[in-house]
Amino acid sequence: MSAATTVQRPPRERRATRGRTRYHRSEVAWGAAFVAPAIVLFAVMGVYTIGYGVSLSFATWNGFTPNWTWVGLHNYADLLWASPTYAPVVHQAALNTLWVMIAVPILTVLVSFPLALLLNSVGRMRTVLRSVYFLPYVTAGIAVYFAWQYILEPDGAINLLLRSLGLGSLQQPQGFLGNPSTALPTLIVVTVWSSVPVSMLLYLAGLQSVDSTLIEAAQIDGAGWWRITRNVLWPLLKPITGIIVLLNLRDSLQGFQTFLIMTNGGPGNHTNVLGLEAYRLAFLSQLSPTLGLSSALGWLLFIAAVILAVITQRAMRRAT
Amino acid sequence: MSTATIARPAASGLAVTRRRARPSPRVLATRAVVALLLLLYAAVSLYPFLWMVSAAFKNQYEVVAGGHLIPHHPTLHTLAQTWGELHFFDYFLNSLKVTALTVLLVLVIYSAAAYAFSVLRFPAKRALYRLFLALLFVPGVTVLLPVVLLENKLGLLGNHWGLILPFVNGSAPLSILMMTNAFDAIPAELREAARMDGAGELRIFATVYLPLSRPVLVTIALLTAIPTWNEYLLTRVSLNNPGTFTLPIALQNLQSGAVLHYNTLMAGALIVVIPVIVLFVAAQRYFVNGLIGAVKA
Repeated sequence: MSAATTVQRPPRERRATRGRTRYHRSEVAWGAAFVAPAIVLFAVMGVYTIGYGVSLSFATWNGFTPNWTWVGLHNYADLLWASPTYAPVVHQAALNTLWVMIAVPILTVLVSFPLALLLNSVGRMRTVLRSVYFLPYVTAGIAVYFAWQYILEPDGAINLLLRSLGLGSLQQPQGFLGNPSTALPTLIVVTVWSSVPVSMLLYLAGLQSVDSTLIEAAQIDGAGWWRITRNVLWPLLKPITGIIVLLNLRDSLQGFQTFLIMTNGGPGNHTNVLGLEAYRLAFLSQLSPTLGLSSALGWLLFIAAVILAVITQRAMRRAT
Repeated sequence: MSTATIARPAASGLAVTRRRARPSPRVLATRAVVALLLLLYAAVSLYPFLWMVSAAFKNQYEVVAGGHLIPHHPTLHTLAQTWGELHFFDYFLNSLKVTALTVLLVLVIYSAAAYAFSVLRFPAKRALYRLFLALLFVPGVTVLLPVVLLENKLGLLGNHWGLILPFVNGSAPLSILMMTNAFDAIPAELREAARMDGAGELRIFATVYLPLSRPVLVTIALLTAIPTWNEYLLTRVSLNNPGTFTLPIALQNLQSGAVLHYNTLMAGALIVVIPVIVLFVAAQRYFVNGLIGAVKA
């Protein structure tokens, strides 16, 4: 290929030795044409909204008055410590979010990795079970969260199940979402239930791409099932664990749809998370001038997500 | 390759003899435990759905009494009535329109972009690619409000394009990442060969790259279609006219009645959930292969 181009266009070749990369004019034109739609959409839906969101975070506005009042970094200070109304709410939401961020990735890995191992070891049932396990992801949305609400009711199916298993003492007479001390753990379980399918499938995909000679070699060396899993499969699948942890951390930090639909932060503020708080400040605060606060909280979440991504990547690089 | 072909017969011969011998009690016990654990998680996955279906077939007295999974007096009345109350077909068509157009645009726009990122050489390519991936970390809730305000200005708020465009833009990072990886895995010789035959970029893209990446395209289609079908946040804050509602919003309105009837709500939930399940079952073969491809790349 390069031979043909050098013969045809010697001057271009000479010019290219100055720069690092050699561009062909037609290829650049095609490149521009191919990325243009993505860029245009991003310019309209992305650049504008991001710019607007950043500048709004330095102002107060209630959405109706014609002008913004510029307040500099006050919104950020109010959220983090200064405001007696908002800072305590944000602190509690941050604590709840932290619990979700710790529990969801760990539990998701603890459930989906063994599940993928087990599923990979069976033949006939695999396809059917894979579809069944995937149902929670496919239907993740308001419909399924309503179903969870229904079975978590005071006289719902979960309490019934506990009673029939002889675990009556674990029943929640006010319902699992009504009791302040069980509401957040319950939402964590529901979140894990929704996030296991994709994680399990990623692990399964990883297991299927593991070179089988590695396992045979370990078997010949006399390694048992546990040793193979711990010393061969788990290290090999570490990059996938990294992806799963990162995706779940991000969703735990920013996601709030389950919380909005199932508890709307209640009882009290016991299941309020940062994403939900930002949503409430933007859409549920009527005429209070909290849009700037909402925007500032959103950007704090963005900064946290970037920091997390960097840390996760560092940790993974050190581990592998 | 040649070593593998030599090694294979011996290995498979071994497997055959092993299979013919009666499995030892220990092996049988292990298999039973594995099967039990797998079925246990299947039950966990299905549990809310079982009760959803159960409530959908109960009348409003039985659902309040609760207590048993299998309805004593199963009735189709609840489903039929909810079907009417939900105006299923109108909202189904709205949901279908939003989902189908979103998926179509995602596939067209980002497969083209991924082709450029993967095979073409042009200035600022890596910077642009990184920019799109960085969008993965911008929280949806942060841009939700600006999107609503912008669409209000553009006159898009309240109509379906006001949902489709942000959905498409939002799925840029993952789609570009997966498709670029898929295109990277296609040998450059194929492109060279096509160019020798006189094919331009557009033809190479459409006749070589796209057909070879079908599993990844189907995977992206599903990964876009499922969340779009279930989307609730932006939809709820941007649609006002009941004629434009999608199924999740229609379902939510069932709940906002004076008295909460769980049988009606679960019947509605069941009706909303079935189309996605059908779609997934139809496409799941590609889906799994596509994800495997994405992980390998």
